[in-house]
Amino acid sequence: MKLKRGKLLIDPPASASSDIAFILIIFFLVCAAVQPETGIAQILPKTEEKTEKQEQSKNIEVSITPNSIILNGSPLKLNEFPLKLNAALSKKTRDEDRIVTVKSAPNTPYPLWIKISQVIEQAGGILTLEIESDRIINVE
Amino acid sequence: MKLPRKKLTASVPSFAMGDIGFLLLIFFVILARAQDDSHVRWQPAKLKEVEMVASPLASVTIDTGFKNYLDGKEISTDALPAALSQILGDTPSGKRYVFLKVHKEAKALHFEPIIAAISEAGGDLVHILEPEQPLPSQ
Repeated sequence: MKLKRGKLLIDPPASASSDIAFILIIFFLVCAAVQPETGIAQILPKTEEKTEKQEQSKNIEVSITPNSIILNGSPLKLNEFPLKLNAALSKKTRDEDRIVTVKSAPNTPYPLWIKISQVIEQAGGILTLEIESDRIINVE
Repeated sequence: MKLPRKKLTASVPSFAMGDIGFLLLIFFVILARAQDDSHVRWQPAKLKEVEMVASPLASVTIDTGFKNYLDGKEISTDALPAALSQILGDTPSGKRYVFLKVHKEAKALHFEPIIAAISEAGGDLVHILEPEQPLPSQ
């Protein structure tokens, strides 16, 4: 009669468990560090105070509110905006004429704003923000 | 007669090296976490056609409570241009990347002054966004 030989189980040495933990931490750290981020780059002109009112009026103006987009005074739907903007920019050849001034209502949501700014950049416009600065006027 | 004294040597046991390394690593991980902004809670907006972006020199975040953070530390909008200029230093244009992480529910009154501050400091603005998944075809 043949007797079955029991399998021998070999445990890893307990002194190596800290080394195993060390290697695992290195692995997870490297995994976390190489996780790439996605987004879009945006070129903005340096902040300056508006002085030349006449020059500003030549630029294409876009006003954004939570419910509407206004291009040079005409309200548009979001899907109409790229076509109209492309048409407006196609006539402009010089870089300084391709400036698109964006004025947003204070309650404009970020996702809408970023969509509009991407459309402007894809159409070849140079995005400029018009921000109203708060001024405190002391009346004596 | 003078008996020679036996020299005692105190050495670190070699089997403890793993534990020492482990503790050192924990120490450096905690130190690194103090400088990053992973503790700031925000949700990115989604957009089509986003790209992989280069590593930044600074990261500005607007969190769920619409507070501003520069590299994980809370900062006011007024103090942001100076703090950013200090970080960016003399880095040439085109390499002055500043990540802007805006919580998706933020409004123009929250993010526009931050964009203006980054522009004032001469930073190359990069909006951090999530790629929009296409709707499943029916």
